[in-house]
Amino acid sequence: MILIIDTTGNEDMINEIESGLNGRNDYEIIRAKDMKIGHCIGCNYCWLKDPGICSVKDDHETILKKMILSDQIWLVSGTTLGFITPLAKNIIDRIIPLATMNLKFKGKQMRHELRYKSYQFGLIYDGEADKAFMEHWSDRVAINFGSRTKGAFKREEIKEAVSCMC
Amino acid sequence: MHVLIINGSPRVQKYSNTDKIISALKEGMEQYDPGITTELYSISDRKQWDDAREAFVRNDEILIALPLFVECIPGLLLEFLSTLPPKDGHTRMSFVLQSGFAEASQLRCGEKYLKTLPGRLGCIYKGTLIKGDNFSIRLVPDDMKKKITAPYVQMGKVYAEHKGFDCEEARKFAGPEYFNAPMRLILRSIFATFGRIMFRKTARSWGCDKPLNYRPYPASR
Repeated sequence: MILIIDTTGNEDMINEIESGLNGRNDYEIIRAKDMKIGHCIGCNYCWLKDPGICSVKDDHETILKKMILSDQIWLVSGTTLGFITPLAKNIIDRIIPLATMNLKFKGKQMRHELRYKSYQFGLIYDGEADKAFMEHWSDRVAINFGSRTKGAFKREEIKEAVSCMC
Repeated sequence: MHVLIINGSPRVQKYSNTDKIISALKEGMEQYDPGITTELYSISDRKQWDDAREAFVRNDEILIALPLFVECIPGLLLEFLSTLPPKDGHTRMSFVLQSGFAEASQLRCGEKYLKTLPGRLGCIYKGTLIKGDNFSIRLVPDDMKKKITAPYVQMGKVYAEHKGFDCEEARKFAGPEYFNAPMRLILRSIFATFGRIMFRKTARSWGCDKPLNYRPYPASR
């Protein structure tokens, strides 16, 4: 299952993605722009008090539950100061209930053990940002999901991004 | 010199590891030059945002300290920064980037972004002080907190001397990029034994009655 989390509210972009996925039934799009989603408050309760549960009670729980059931997660974001938007970053900051407090080494680096399984990750962004940096960041996010990145794609590269959704 | 310090952590100030690091840095700055003054705002408290924004406009020495949140800056700090009016290129901006993960390589992606940020805000980039292994600050008693943050006192002096962290001493502070293979072997066995026990113990003291790898949501349809 492919989970596409749109934070832009740009229906033209969503349509472009959907038309690329034409006829497939293994994806779901979450429209997060108007959902009530706060920021990670760094309380660590999801690791040490109520394992796997975010203490911030809002619509993010719906996203988290769907992430767990997916194999591939795509984030669709605008840009802010050369990065993804605060809303998109808040959604990603709050993936930490998907990991546990326990540590391990993955290759040469420390990592947290995953609570469920691994998920592939990809990014589609619309706006000004350094593509090499966005790819680097996507790759690092994917490590948190226990995988490698599918890439970071500019809006003009949606076709290419969709071809990676497999 | 007057320094505007912004605590970019979304965690409340009382439990903020970044806040304890800032205290050590301030101590070092004051040791270097007792004439140095600072003002501090914490973005975890939205009521401080208007004052912090006004201070950003007014100050030319700015230090932003932040925890690494999923490989870059926290969403909340990004939101705050996006409300700032750009400056005219005379303001020095430096960063302190800290994390739980211990190796310097874990912070490089975040550092890469921070290098580009001052330019976008009309400021001059003056370096990022990097260091990991700070997770336990909030978990230990006050005297231990001081011990963990003590190395930052020297970095406060370095900041005051260089008006930033754009110097060799600050770069060295990051420590090893990766642990070497023998060290990884040792750490791996600590994580699998003592580490698990300590985290479990901490969790119990926080009122947790479930295993730390508990799965609250269904993992399949």
